[in-house]
Amino acid sequence: MIRLQNVYKDYGGRPALVNVNLHIGVGEFAFLVGPSGAGKSTVMRLLYREEKPTSGQVFIGGIDITRLDRAQVPLLRRRLGIVFQDYKLLPKQTVFDNVAYILRALGVERMEVSRRVRSALTVVNLEDKEDAYPDELSGGEQQRVGIARAIVNGPPVLLADEPTGNLDPVASLEIVQLLERISQRGTTVFISTHDQFIVNSLRKRVVSLKAGQVAGDVDSGVYEMETIG
Amino acid sequence: MRQLRILSGVVVETMQGLKQGGWSNWLVVSILVIALTIFGGVLQLTMTLKSVVAAWGSQLVISAYLKDGDDPRSVARTVSQLPDVKLVEIVPRDVAWQEMQASFKVASLANPLPNTLHIQLTRPEAVEKTALCLRAMDGIEHVRYPLAVARNLNRFRQFLEATGVAVTAALTAATLMVIGNTIQLVIQSRMREIEIQSLMGVSPWYIKGPLVLQGAAYGLVSALVATSLIWAGRVYVEACVAGQLVGFLPLAGQQFGYGMLPTFLVLLVLGVSVGAGGSAWTSGRYVKI
Repeated sequence: MIRLQNVYKDYGGRPALVNVNLHIGVGEFAFLVGPSGAGKSTVMRLLYREEKPTSGQVFIGGIDITRLDRAQVPLLRRRLGIVFQDYKLLPKQTVFDNVAYILRALGVERMEVSRRVRSALTVVNLEDKEDAYPDELSGGEQQRVGIARAIVNGPPVLLADEPTGNLDPVASLEIVQLLERISQRGTTVFISTHDQFIVNSLRKRVVSLKAGQVAGDVDSGVYEMETIG
Repeated sequence: MRQLRILSGVVVETMQGLKQGGWSNWLVVSILVIALTIFGGVLQLTMTLKSVVAAWGSQLVISAYLKDGDDPRSVARTVSQLPDVKLVEIVPRDVAWQEMQASFKVASLANPLPNTLHIQLTRPEAVEKTALCLRAMDGIEHVRYPLAVARNLNRFRQFLEATGVAVTAALTAATLMVIGNTIQLVIQSRMREIEIQSLMGVSPWYIKGPLVLQGAAYGLVSALVATSLIWAGRVYVEACVAGQLVGFLPLAGQQFGYGMLPTFLVLLVLGVSVGAGGSAWTSGRYVKI
């Protein structure tokens, strides 16, 4: 479902990713770990085409997204659910409207919007918060809204870039367990994180980056700072 | 149906954007109103002065004295076919003589006056050219016209046109810049929102559409307010000043002000197109994929 092939990325001559090769299968759940500056966020930005690699190819669902023209990028992003560290919620819209936004922009019929939004909010256990505004919610709840928004359009791939970066350990564990449940429904979930606790709690596949290179790729792994379990 | 739902979504987004704008809406509209009022005021002034000059020009009369024995109606017909001739009035020599006798104590003489044509033109700049044509005509003995007045009026008209074009161009450029920069501020304040929409896979036009409509709405409201202000100013000037200035001129009863409807339409087109265009241009710079 996700494939990076000989990906090299630099910023003004300074390499951020060097010859990265990676494959995540359909329905798989994987962590991308590494210290700050290892290149995790760069990988994520390449996957949702916020950036293009300097060289190499990036495939999502068999399509080389480095070759997409600008008009096709929104189509790609609709097939991805993206969860961010800072939640990226629209502050002046309610929980319901935040989750419904993309469906309305696609012209989905009103009743269907309502049905899908409520279904997504049920998955993240926020059915009773649909009229709340983001600033009325805790960090964990805001991130769950972000996840509901990411899954509302039924994407085959869910990318989460440091989704627990702003959360306490309990909320962090709830979030990754939620993402695991979503993965069990057939969605490919790829999470970048440097949160040792959540990686080690789940014992899933762990891809480790160090100085822009893949330093390890282990099924049922743990993250011991720079050591792969 | 799906397209309609998307369009209605764009309209709803526009309304929400305006609602969320709060005080910044009024800031933008205030700046636009100032820019459009200055532009519209200068437009009104220039066009009014031009219409006054044109009215003065229409008061210019060429007198053509006819040769004895020629039929004044026949000459008048020929003259009326010349370009730029608005009106030809025949003053028969007998009528002119009677008027002269009534006005002055004139000795009982044989009538020495010729038949005369008084010719009004559609535009003052045609006076000299028409006078030359008249001089060349068979039935006309002599032609008189206020040469100095005609030339001065022409110079004034040319000055007004040149100044009007320069001032209008400068004000249009300034208005465009002010509106563009103001709308840029509004869009910059929504940068995070635009980024989020873009990352969700929302089409660029769905993101830009509400911003463009918002800019157009600013232009519409500003044009309405600016026109109202110009209209109020014009009513005041007409009541207090214009009557005194025009009173001594032979132009009583004439309307000189450039119409308010054309002014409103010019401001509307300028406001809406610059508002919408400025938004489209600015949002295009920020909505990057």
